[in-house]
Amino acid sequence: MSATSTMMLIGVGGAGCAMADKVYRLFGEDMRRLLIDTDASSGIAGTPFVLLGAERYAGRGAGGEVTSARTAAEDTVKLIEEHIGGVRLAVVVTALGGGTGTGATYEVIKHLGRLGIPSIAIATTPFSFEGEARHRNARGMVSMIADAANASIFMPLDKLVQHIDNMDLAMKSAVEAIADAVTLFWRLVEKPGYIRLDVERIRKTIQGAGRGRFMALTATGPNRAAQIVEKAVSAPLLADGTQQVRSILCGVLAGDDLRLSEIGKIADGIKTAFGSRADFELATVNDEAHFGGKISVVAMMFEAVRKEEPQQKKSAGRRQRMNKLVLTSSRFNNSEPTIWNGENLDVPTYIRQDINLEF
Amino acid sequence: MTNIYAALEIGTSRTVLAVGEAETGGRLKISCHANIPSRGIRKSQIIDIASASHSVKSVLKEVEKNQAENGMSLTIGNAFLVVSGQHIKADTYQGTAQIARQKVSDQDIEEVQSAARGMTLPREREVLDIVEQTYTVDNYGGIISPKNKSGRILKLNALYIHGEADRINDARTAMGEAHLELRDPLFACTCAADAVLDDSQKRDGVMVLDLGAGSTGYAIYCDGVLAAAGAIGVGGDHISNDIATAFQTIHSQADELKKREACAIVGDYQGVQSRIKISGLASSVELRTISRHSLNTVVNARCRELISIIRDTLEELDLIHRLNAGVVFTGGGAALDGFAELVSRELGTDVTIGKPKHVDGLEDVPNPEAYAAICGALMYAHRNYEEKSLFKTLFGGFGK
Repeated sequence: MSATSTMMLIGVGGAGCAMADKVYRLFGEDMRRLLIDTDASSGIAGTPFVLLGAERYAGRGAGGEVTSARTAAEDTVKLIEEHIGGVRLAVVVTALGGGTGTGATYEVIKHLGRLGIPSIAIATTPFSFEGEARHRNARGMVSMIADAANASIFMPLDKLVQHIDNMDLAMKSAVEAIADAVTLFWRLVEKPGYIRLDVERIRKTIQGAGRGRFMALTATGPNRAAQIVEKAVSAPLLADGTQQVRSILCGVLAGDDLRLSEIGKIADGIKTAFGSRADFELATVNDEAHFGGKISVVAMMFEAVRKEEPQQKKSAGRRQRMNKLVLTSSRFNNSEPTIWNGENLDVPTYIRQDINLEF
Repeated sequence: MTNIYAALEIGTSRTVLAVGEAETGGRLKISCHANIPSRGIRKSQIIDIASASHSVKSVLKEVEKNQAENGMSLTIGNAFLVVSGQHIKADTYQGTAQIARQKVSDQDIEEVQSAARGMTLPREREVLDIVEQTYTVDNYGGIISPKNKSGRILKLNALYIHGEADRINDARTAMGEAHLELRDPLFACTCAADAVLDDSQKRDGVMVLDLGAGSTGYAIYCDGVLAAAGAIGVGGDHISNDIATAFQTIHSQADELKKREACAIVGDYQGVQSRIKISGLASSVELRTISRHSLNTVVNARCRELISIIRDTLEELDLIHRLNAGVVFTGGGAALDGFAELVSRELGTDVTIGKPKHVDGLEDVPNPEAYAAICGALMYAHRNYEEKSLFKTLFGGFGK
């Protein structure tokens, strides 16, 4: 299956590689995947691996430095090309705040875009106690990744593991929560049921989808559909969101006993809870071996208006100038960015619109 | 005993506190108000609770000092909070009830009203308001008063306005540190609309744009009901930031340029110099000049972009052709030169500045539209709490 699959999971940085590997092990079958890091120790036998900046850092990592990791990625990101032939959709997982995940992810996504491969970025942001420097690193990169990826989901670690005090356990739980959700999403695409969600349909849905939220829920028993709806409105989402939800990708995964009425109840419940006017794409999976007796639901909810046509490419120079400003401008650094149709409106309009000024 | 209410707005550029009293005859009068520059706020969101709390304490002290000068001794213990910011959104929810005896009775209406209030929000969201829209009897919608209509099923659409609970809790914390209890949090734009609109405008179709420093709120009324509401995360601060970036000035200087010299329309330079003098940051630095044309170009680009977002929102809601009574501006950003004309040109509607109509006491204030939201919050308090005669229990924090 993996050789012909057109969807690829890419882990960037140490934590991103660990997440991608966890998804692979949970999925339990071969899948197209790629690990990328500046640290050679993140490579896993049998999994394609790209070592960024080998000449600069000799595989010892970027030392937690965002700028070093970004430079390494700028120099060597082309190495990913030998692994991505035939890929039509990339899901990029990473953790923001440290070195390579923060510095290289944007370059990887940008390069995928240059090659015409749309991407969904799924990234964690640091715990609140992790220190201002890591938060500043993450904040600066969130807007840039949101801008470069077709769809992006940012998950604050604080929200992922709200009731776990042990640090080690908290990190493991966070990785597991994300890996569980991504694995469900993978099964949705690779193990289609009566209502199919294929890569081409996802490509269309995520066109200019903007920032999104992620949800993965499971329930058993006679009232399992009602339980799912109840959890959907009360459980914390795996990401923050502030804007109105414009499009929802919803998958219902169950065994052979999945009833039509259950699908209807779940679809109605999620639409009511998150956006009755949103575009709603539904898919199902019937997989008795994995889901016998239970229902799992995985949903991605996106905020920007969906575009039928790809967004116009901006010149590289202009884009760089704009990104530099986002990073260096301090005025709105500490607040939620204003993203509209994939553009960061905190960047001055005259710069984004390439308006020349006389002085 | 007179009913007294306080309303607070922790805005991006200023923190405002106003005290309103019910007058004989039922009108509301603002007896005292104060505003001070805010600290610790960006884009309507608190980024530094200690600084925001300091602003609240300062404005509280200012109001109490003003009251003392008028021979009154007032301790303010709680206040209604005016909330704005891009985290605010609105969703429609429909309640349904069976009509018991084929004609809609008061009991049926109560039942459907109760059902319409049954929407469960994700726990990270907090309700700011639930506004009843229109009824549907069987398949006939758009009904304002369904009583005695024949049918089997009665439905009611309710508009839920909600914001992020964490943001509201940050404001609650900042107020708490100033020993001020948060009463109901209210959406700034619908408060402003209540203060400046009359019923005929709401019937004819009108959009209120509350132009704040951190964000722009909107509330759209058609056929007498609130059809949609929300906020866009772009405000006057973005214009100042664009000017500061373009001309390499500090933010306060850019803000002054925006207020004194800028115009949202490019090419409108009659009777003014083509270059504007700006001072250096230190007294030893010589004056320099910038192009007025460039200044207005920067401002125009931002304003046109904001208007295009508003137009997209109206088109998406299918309300673009329903604004027969035009657009009404409130908030501090309404004073930007040329902006009203630009909106009028771009949207093809009349644009007016909304002054609070139903509140006394602001006669000497130069820009009363900047107080529209706070007036609306006081009107809300007056309307909801006086009717219920709960003064003693709910307003225990006040003492004369």
